[in-house]
This record gives sequence, structure tokens and C-alpha cells, in this order.
Amino acid sequence: MTKRFSLKNFLLNYLVLVAIVLLVIITIMVEPKFLSGENLTNIMRQFGPLSFVSLGMTFVIIGGFIDLSVAGIISLVAVVTVSLIDPLGQVQALIIGVALGAFLGFLNSMVLISAGALTQAEALFITFGMSAVYSAIALIYTDGATQHMSWLTGNQSIFDAIGSGTVGILSVSFLIFLVSLGALWIFHNKTYNGRAISYTGGNKVAAELSGIPIKRSVVLIYTICGLMAAIGAVVLFSRITTAAPIIGKGYETNAILSVVVGGTTLKGGKGSVLRTVLGVLLITLMSNCMNLLGVSPYMQIVLKGSILVVAIWLDNRKEQ
Amino acid sequence: MEKKDSGIILSIKDVSKSFPGVKALDNVSVDIARGIVHGIVGENGAGKSTLMKILSGVYTKDTGTVVFDGETIEHTTPIESLNRGLSIIYQEFNLVNTMSVGENIFLGRFAEMHGMRGTHAEARKLLDSIGCTIDTRTMVGDLSAAEKQMVEITKALSFQSKLIIMDEPSSSLTSDELKQLFLIIHDLKARGVSIIYISHKLDEIFELCDIVTVMRDGHVIDTKPVGELTRADMITKMVGRSIEHEYPERPRCAGETLMEVRSINTHKLHDISFELKKGEILGLVGLVGAGRTEIVRAICGADKVHGHQVLINGKPVKIKKPADAKKLGIGLLPEDRKLQGLVLRFSVQSNIVMASLDNMTKFGFVDSSKEKGIAERQINNLCIKTPSAQTQVLSLSGGNQQKCVVGRWLEINPQILIMDEPTRGIDVGAKYEIYVLMKQVVENGGSIIMISSELPEVLNMSNRVLTICEGRITGEFNPETVSAQTIMDSAIG
Repeated sequence: MTKRFSLKNFLLNYLVLVAIVLLVIITIMVEPKFLSGENLTNIMRQFGPLSFVSLGMTFVIIGGFIDLSVAGIISLVAVVTVSLIDPLGQVQALIIGVALGAFLGFLNSMVLISAGALTQAEALFITFGMSAVYSAIALIYTDGATQHMSWLTGNQSIFDAIGSGTVGILSVSFLIFLVSLGALWIFHNKTYNGRAISYTGGNKVAAELSGIPIKRSVVLIYTICGLMAAIGAVVLFSRITTAAPIIGKGYETNAILSVVVGGTTLKGGKGSVLRTVLGVLLITLMSNCMNLLGVSPYMQIVLKGSILVVAIWLDNRKEQ
Repeated sequence: MEKKDSGIILSIKDVSKSFPGVKALDNVSVDIARGIVHGIVGENGAGKSTLMKILSGVYTKDTGTVVFDGETIEHTTPIESLNRGLSIIYQEFNLVNTMSVGENIFLGRFAEMHGMRGTHAEARKLLDSIGCTIDTRTMVGDLSAAEKQMVEITKALSFQSKLIIMDEPSSSLTSDELKQLFLIIHDLKARGVSIIYISHKLDEIFELCDIVTVMRDGHVIDTKPVGELTRADMITKMVGRSIEHEYPERPRCAGETLMEVRSINTHKLHDISFELKKGEILGLVGLVGAGRTEIVRAICGADKVHGHQVLINGKPVKIKKPADAKKLGIGLLPEDRKLQGLVLRFSVQSNIVMASLDNMTKFGFVDSSKEKGIAERQINNLCIKTPSAQTQVLSLSGGNQQKCVVGRWLEINPQILIMDEPTRGIDVGAKYEIYVLMKQVVENGGSIIMISSELPEVLNMSNRVLTICEGRITGEFNPETVSAQTIMDSAIG
């Protein structure tokens, strides 16, 4: 069969782009403030933390799993990092914080492997449990108190730069994002381990019988996800300069939403970090537009939930 | 519309059905008479399953008419078909393993049976009517394949079926069980029930059917009384050309001992020890469930097994997972191509390079030009029919899909290639090509362990045959000098 152009397929594959364009046009028509410099900076900032978490989540989903523990990881990494700035210095705090995120992700993979949990449903429940553990540790560690960076005496220049610094017209956090995106894209598409992750998500049994190291893939995807969640946590608390022990709440669902809306299938195997960027952009723009248009927060949750359902519905209708 | 002859239970006229890129059925017309066994044969992809799915209501036809028992049927659903008296028994049964036989027969209709007592009583009556003695309170999960099939037949009878379609009913039956199935079918026929019998196995068609329809590429090629066709005619009609040889000449390359396997013991296998020679094709023969697959999975490290020993060239090797086996040059072609062999949603190329990808890396990076080269080479070598290397493997025919898995292993130059049911569900032409590939592997110095439920292919391809029965090796034979009957007796135990 020759490949014919089909409008239906084009729409199914690029719906998210079409949606972004439509959303921007409608919002500009209703609320010209959307294009103000202040609002655009605002969007770039909101884009930050979620984009990092979603990039990591993309690998977990391509690998055929899911990770609900990012909420707990973000909270714990944020409070631990902020609390270590004064006693250890900012560089040490940053390194320990990011390493902690990667370690917690690694821990998730070890729990999954030792439990023999190799399905998405099992991963859903195990990481849900792990998230509760990490969140609770964050609360115990801080006694429930929010950490304020303004109370600290140590040097915070790195975090100031991450939170509000710019290089030309681009924010520092956006640059970190571009570097991460490039590195992860190359990892996924050009390296053996990246490809092994796709095979693992595509068909675990066939991958294992062909000698693909599926356990290594599981370790990699969760470690990357933990690492990216930690970077997201640093970007987040640097911008708002406080770290509450529940700061990561809601990021797991928004990240999964962004990945799926971007077009990475929950079935595993196929997907791309580039698609996820579009997904994050759509979700961020949508929040921004709805705020500008005065849509109530409750209604926003209804819309987000509906979009997730529609995205999965559409995914199942793509021509195989 | 003309009044249909009442001697016809099902009349299919000019039915067509297209899927994206494929015309699965093209103006198909068949009449099924009452009280006969009507065979349908054809290679994979001939359209048999599509036709059955249209009859049962899983698919909707694009054009044409279907008249069942005098009633024109436009749209139907599986449950409506059942209530009209048309049952289909699929290869993989539609039974609930965790419920009893009686509950399965009257699933969802307990109220009509006045509760469980009525259900079991009625089920007993129906089972007795086909001479089946299974207790209606047995869990279906505890039954053998043959017994499950009887439960399916009984279920069909409970709907007062006038037509029962059986899709490859013999695929998991022993020869005795098959005889019993034939008796039941004869009995149903005597009661006026029509049977559509779909099978790959021509022997069964000749033994059982009154009329046979041959399909090929979505067309009905011919419908004739069985007596008017010879076996050769039928094969010619099925493949569209005459097949001179079903098998290539048996390779004779066996040399020194290459691999020794010593005492594999699991809950299913008992003291399995054997050796494989260099350049040899070793056939493992046994019934489904005898432990053949478990033996090769243990060797490859696909199942966790302890305490056995594998020696290659006299040296003990440790194989804990399939990746270890691959490093030693052992490849496994698994029995279920779709579930265990392929990543169906991936491209032909991705599936071919799957096992050799780790040899194409530099500092962990994949060389994508090499990757493309390998895919092209295997597509050309194995004559894989695909529009391009980037086509999803899902859209290929069974034979071409299997060649992708074979190509994947050829790329690592396997020392030992283990093939579990290498020709299951692929057509006659592609089978021959797979046999030729096997021959090439041993001629190039590799060895093959072949598992197959089709006795003729093992006997025609192997240099040596081991029979497996209930987890034990029960005999070793030279298939050139020993009769098929002797080997089968040893496999049945």
C-alpha cells in the first residue's frame, strides 16, 4: 500500500500542535494581555519545573511503566536541599539534592525488580506507596514547616541564578531545560541503552528473550525520572524561594498528563521527549489562558482530567 | 429476493471486506447445506478467519448478503448469532477457567435454568448426549484441552445451534482425542447440525468432511465434494501453484559433540540430559505440554532453573538469562511469535536488529547506518516481503513475521539456534523457505534444536529425534530408519 496523506491521521498525530495554535489565537482575541512581556516571562517560568519532571516521566512511560512517586521525590529533594545550604554550602547542597533524587528513583526500580513487579499496574501501586513514604519523610524531616530561603545566611547565588537569572532573553532555567532535552533526546535515540528502553516498553518478553537487558532498562528509567524530578524541584524552589514539604503535590498527574497529551502512548515502546515538550507547552498555556480568562480553579481540574481521557481515547484510535 | 432452498442453512453471497491496505475478502460466496460437515481450507491470510468473524458479528461486512436459516442478516453481534443458532468454537477457548463446567455452559443464563441445581442438571443431560463423562462441577481450568473443547461443543448445543463453526479444533489434541472429536462430529451431523470445519491439516479434511471449500487471498477458489479432489489438487488450489517438494533434502552435517546438557530437574522436567552435535538438527518430539518448551527455556536461561549443567565444547558455561545465552551464540526462536518473538508495533528493521544491536555500538552509541545495512541484508537474504524496512511488522503475513525473527538470530551467527514451533501458523510456501534457512544454518556450521507438533516436518528435517513424555526423555531415534508410528508411540509413553 502506498502511503497516502490522510487528514484523520495528520490530526491524530499533530493534534497537540493544532490545539496549541488554536488556544493561543483564541486567548489573544479574548485577552490581548496574553502577549505582554510580563505574561510571556510568567509562562516560561511555569513551564520550568513541570517540563523537567515530564521529561523524566517520558522515559518511564516509554519503558512501559509509570511513576507516581515524583511528587514525593520533589518534596523531599526540595526540603533537604534548602536545609543543607547553610550547613554545607550551596554547591554541596545542590549536588546532594540532585543525587538524592536519582537515588530515590533507583530505589523505586530496586523495589519493583525485587518484587518481580513488571507490569504498569503494579508499578502504579508500588510508586504510589513510595510517594507516600517520601512525602512523609519530607514532613518528618521538616516537622511540617516550610523552609524559607530568605531565612538562610549562606551564599545562594546559584539558586538565585536558577530561579531568576537570565542569559540574553532566555532564563537560566530554560537553558538548563534545553541542555537536558538535547541530552535525553540523544540518549533515547542514539544510544543502546536508550533503544533498549524502547524495546522493553514495546514487548518485555520478546526483549528479554532477545538478550535485551530489561532490568537495566527499569533501573535507568526510574533513575532518570528521579534525577529529572530533583532538577525540577531545584528549579521550583529557586523560583519561589520557599520549600514546603508538600511542594511536589500534583506534579505526578500533571507530568503524566503532559506526556500522554504530547502523544507518547501509555502502552509503552513509542514516544519522544520532543512530543512531551509540546504536551507541557499545551498544559502550561492552558493553565495560563484559563487564569487570564478567569476560569475557576475547580473548572480547570475538570478540563485537565477530561483532556487526559480524550488523549488516551485518541491514542487508541491512531491507525496502527 | 428468491426463497432460499430449505436444504441450505447458511448462504453467503458476494461478501467483501476490506481493511486498510488489504482486501481480506473479495466477493466470497459459499452455501452450507444442513446436516453436513463442510471443510474450509486455505493458507494463513486466505480470509477464513475474517469470514468467520463476519458471521459471528465481530466484524461487519462491507458488501454482500448473508442468509442464515432463511433470515437475511445485516448486522449482528456475537450474542445475537448465538441466539440464532450459530456458534463458533475458537482455537483459544472462550471459557472461564475459574468456574465450573456447568456454570460455563450456561454462563449468564442461570436464571433460565432455575438456579445452580437446574444448571448442573441440564449441563449433565447435554454432556451425556455427546457421551461425555466430565463432572459438571469440575473447574474448567483443571480440564485438558480436549475436555475444554467438549465443554465448548456442549455450550454450543445448549443454544440449540444449527451450525457450529470449529476453527482449527485439532491443534491441541492427541490422536485418540481427535478420534473422539470425530465421533462427536458424526453424531452432531446425524442430528442435523451443520459443521464448518476449518483446518490446516488436510488428512482431517479428507477423513471428516463431505464438502470442502478452498480459499486463497480472500477469494473462494473452489467448492467441491471431498471425493472429487486429491490431496495434490487441494494443495495446488491453496497455494496457487503446484508444490513439488514439501521439504528440502535433509542436511547431513552432524559432526563432533558441541553441547552437552546434564540433568535438568524442575517440577515439570525429570533428569533431562542429552547432547547436540555440531551441524546437527535435533528434533524434540512430544505432545503439547510434555515439557519440550521448558527444556529449551531452561537451557537459554529464560526460566530460572538450578542444579543442571550445560557444557559447550566440553567446557561448562553459566547461562542465567537469555542475554548470557546470546553471548555464547545461542538464539531462541520462541513458540509464540506475536507474544514472545516480535515487538508488533515496531518496524521490521527494529525487530531484525533487536539481538545484534549491542554489537553495533561504539561507546554506547548505535551506528545507525550499520543498523540499516543489517535490516536491508536480512530482508534481501530471507526474501521478507515488506514495503520497506520501516513498515510495522504487525502488517506483515505470518511467514514474513517469522522470517524477521529468524533474521534477527542469523545476524548473530548462531552456534546453536533453538526453534520452538518454527512453522506454526505460516503457509506452505513460507514453511519451505524456513526449512531451507534451517539447512543453511547447519551447512554454515551451526546446530539446530527443533521443536514441532507437526511430526512430518521433524521427521523430514532432523538428523536425530528425542521423544519427550511427561517431562522425561523416553527415546532417541534416527528418523531415517525408524517409522513415524514407533516414534509417536514413544512420545505418547
